[in-house]
Amino acid sequence: MTRHHPDSLTLMEYSAGNLSEARALCIRLHLDQCPHCRSRVDTLDSLGAVMMDHQPTVSVDDGSFEQLMARIDAGPEMASPVAYKPRQNPLQKLLGQDINDLPWKRQLGDVSVLDITAKFGDRSEQVVLQKLSAGGKAPAHTHRGDETTIILQGAFSDQNGVFNQWDFVCLDHNDEHRPVAVGHEDCITLSVLSAPLKLTGTFTRFLNPFIR
Amino acid sequence: MIATKTRSHHVTVKERPVTTLDQQPAKSEGRKDPWGALLERVGKHQDREAYQALFKQFAPQIKYYAISNGLASHAEELVQEVFISIWRRSCLYDWRKAAASTWIFTIARNQRIDMLRKMQRSSAEMNVETEDLWQIPGDNENDPVTSLHRLMSERRIRESLSHLPEEQITVIAKVYMEHKSHQMVADELGIPLGTVKSRVRLALNKLKVILQDQNV
Ligand SMILES: [Zn+2]
Repeated sequence: MTRHHPDSLTLMEYSAGNLSEARALCIRLHLDQCPHCRSRVDTLDSLGAVMMDHQPTVSVDDGSFEQLMARIDAGPEMASPVAYKPRQNPLQKLLGQDINDLPWKRQLGDVSVLDITAKFGDRSEQVVLQKLSAGGKAPAHTHRGDETTIILQGAFSDQNGVFNQWDFVCLDHNDEHRPVAVGHEDCITLSVLSAPLKLTGTFTRFLNPFIR
Repeated sequence: MIATKTRSHHVTVKERPVTTLDQQPAKSEGRKDPWGALLERVGKHQDREAYQALFKQFAPQIKYYAISNGLASHAEELVQEVFISIWRRSCLYDWRKAAASTWIFTIARNQRIDMLRKMQRSSAEMNVETEDLWQIPGDNENDPVTSLHRLMSERRIRESLSHLPEEQITVIAKVYMEHKSHQMVADELGIPLGTVKSRVRLALNKLKVILQDQNV
């Protein structure tokens, strides 16, 4: 179980570029708000650079540099400097709208869900947005292993404490809890689940982190 | 040295880079690494000589990186894409925020990810760019301009790496160079996932100790 910040091994997989897009998105959303973890990733990126330097090298083809310069000289669009762009929240960019305005589907009582798996290339994972209404309670439940969650808005509390906006949580089957949305806002989370849930017929399976 | 598989490609064991740069870093920029100075010359003046020096140093590393990541038939292409990106982004490079080789590593990683994303899906599907998900150090405008431990960390890592047991380095190399998850490393080496994770943790703890030292 990881709470509030991703663990070093997960950040290392991020730095190495080995995480799926959905999991990388969770990490990036956290990094954009957490200087502590940004600094950890910087160090891990340096480890990557040192590993790359530590390996053998392979000579490039003859004329490789000349080919490169020919490309740069060929078109301004190829060689034009990249300008600083104001950082946009990558989830908002992905969704194209505010998380509060999404076509939420009420699942049970205070809990609404939206499955956004189709927005990602990797279909071996399920990516789900969940909303627990302000003051709402979710039924007690446990989790499957290897679930990554980031809190996008509001906060929730359970017996382990309070989880605020941009906190990062990994929950597994040992983590039985009964979260309550605290504060005046709806609590909205983004979760990545390892294996897709199999929905059969009209039977509704409950999703994490609030209910299952 | 890290054990590597025999490959059909022409692999040379690299000598330690000896940097003989005619332009010494200015006194006020004493902590700037030589590659950082070259990158700034590219960024500020589109200096082709500096660019070529960077190419000579990093292109063969990036080509190996591509091959070890299973992109042997696209290795030259990846080198080209990485260097186009370096040319275009060099104006954003700030030596105070990242060592040049760290910055170049993240560009190579992002171009590798980008290439795989483009191979696997149509561009119409990709409204989130690779760099929206994988950050380049120094891109966050909220970070302090100078962070000494960040500048020093690469040198410290390099030094501490030579004291790590080979089995820990092997695991880290597979994660960084071969695009392998901890689980895949465990499967390949035929050891439990827990063993892989504990080797990585031991190695990272050692690096973290060094990080703490820097903050004193
Ligand atoms: Zn953090």
